[in-house]
Amino acid sequence: MSASPSHSSDLPALTLEGVGRRFGALRAVSDVTLRIEQGERRAILGPNGAGKTTLFNTICGDYPPTSGKITFFGTDISQLKPHRRARLGIGRTYQSSTLFSGLTVRENLYLAVRAMKPGRFSLLKAGKGSADLVRVQELAQQVRVDHILDTRIDAVSHGQRRQVEIGMALAGSPRLLMLDEPAAGLSAAERPELVALMAELPRDLTLILIEHDMDVALANSEKVTVMKDGEVVVESTSDKVADDPMVQAIYLGEGH
Amino acid sequence: MIMMTTRQWLATAAGVAILLSLPLFLPNFWLVNIFGRAMVYGVVALSLTFLAHYGGFVSLAQTMLAGVAGYAVAMMAPTAIPLGPMAMPYYAAIPLAVLAATIAGAIVGMIAVNTREIYLLMITLALAVGFSLFAQSNITWFRGYEGIRNIVGPEIMGLPFRAPLVFYYVALGVAVSMFLLVLYVVRTPFGLVLQAIRDSDRRAAAIGYYVGLHRIASFALAGFIAGWGGVLITFYNIGITPSSIGLWATVAVLIMAVIGGLGHPLGAFIGALIYTVMDTFASSIIGHDRFNTLIGVVFLAIVLLSPDGVWGFGKRLTAAVGKAPQRTVDREKTS
Repeated sequence: MSASPSHSSDLPALTLEGVGRRFGALRAVSDVTLRIEQGERRAILGPNGAGKTTLFNTICGDYPPTSGKITFFGTDISQLKPHRRARLGIGRTYQSSTLFSGLTVRENLYLAVRAMKPGRFSLLKAGKGSADLVRVQELAQQVRVDHILDTRIDAVSHGQRRQVEIGMALAGSPRLLMLDEPAAGLSAAERPELVALMAELPRDLTLILIEHDMDVALANSEKVTVMKDGEVVVESTSDKVADDPMVQAIYLGEGH
Repeated sequence: MIMMTTRQWLATAAGVAILLSLPLFLPNFWLVNIFGRAMVYGVVALSLTFLAHYGGFVSLAQTMLAGVAGYAVAMMAPTAIPLGPMAMPYYAAIPLAVLAATIAGAIVGMIAVNTREIYLLMITLALAVGFSLFAQSNITWFRGYEGIRNIVGPEIMGLPFRAPLVFYYVALGVAVSMFLLVLYVVRTPFGLVLQAIRDSDRRAAAIGYYVGLHRIASFALAGFIAGWGGVLITFYNIGITPSSIGLWATVAVLIMAVIGGLGHPLGAFIGALIYTVMDTFASSIIGHDRFNTLIGVVFLAIVLLSPDGVWGFGKRLTAAVGKAPQRTVDREKTS
């Protein structure tokens, strides 16, 4: 039996033991072992195809691991469905924007707020000023989209979509937030907004960040895990990782 | 959280007022065989539009679900020929029949829960054809080819259901209720989740929704809507036979929904009306054998000229008309 997660403050937020994911003959992720402490900010670096997003997918449950074990605050979640993991407190964003494009920003955030509560099948509309709608307003302010609440997603800018994504991932007050390349495709003008937003995230929130941009990654993390060909090749602190010869080789595009 | 705008309420109220007053102007033939028939078939098409537009599921099982309700009410009808072993008054048979269609809808949703697009289309088509073949070959319950006759419907305030005004107003009441039900549901949390699944089912799961269960519930609701249509169609035809739920009937409902436009619940009724008018008058103009050719050509023309159907065409037209006066106002301002 797993220990009760609520009373054990010394438990790691997330552990992966020998986690692998195969797609047919392709080993997208193999034998990854990680330990992420509560409140830690971890960046995951690596070239394209290194298995970073697949690793996220094994953690959030989109593609559960084909081998190994994942625990979240002491609970084994290796084979839970994605919505069960979300309700345990794992929030994530996606690399390519996958918002509900036919709905407004308000409706997107509202759905994310409702998802954590009973009444998911409710046939009653929320009244004006209901607690859920107040929470939507707070979230919108937190991720700075409160001026476009009634705009449909397909009419808002790419940068604002990334902010809505983070707002939705935060809606369930997750204990672990996983951001998959939040700065990808942002213009130079949009980037500072996102960096500021990330700096304002609560300190007790555990954060895992996939980021191509080294500067953004190092500015927002304490520890760095470097992946290549589905395996962890380097684990280091953020201030030392740039000196690692392996990391230099990967990021200068040499040494295969 | 989102209400119909005042303009939408006014448009709905005006539409209902016109439909309520139609009996003052139209002969019984038009009331029953054109408008009444279009409304009851429109309800079945509406269940398809609901799933397709808000859930992204194009289901070909909706005629079959209407057939489940139709056969259920026929088996339980007190007037049925031959009389079934479960005969009971209509006021009990009708809700039970709609319940049967709702449950059947949930079962279809369960069977199709992991399929999408062409595979969803094929699996629902297979279920539809399978059910009609079963009805055709089963004598004990479904009475085979002959079907079940004399399903005349209940008396309402002493008037037979077949009285033109009774049938027309009941059909109108059911059609408007189902239409408003869809418009309401899609603004509730349940309906919003459905649209979220349409736009991105992975994210819907990532924020904590059990996508499969929501899909099944939406098919059950579509079954409920189709069930009301099925009961009224059976009263309209005074009975039910396997051919009324066969492949051609299935395709007919799909054609109605597409002609009218899958982009809005109203499209289902527009399409059903166009289909009914053509079906009724084609035979006197080009001969009954040519109906399929005619509906095929109209279908092609609409899909080519306005992929979102007549409703989409009307929407673009009103947008163009609405813009024209605004432009003149702008010009006045600038001059």
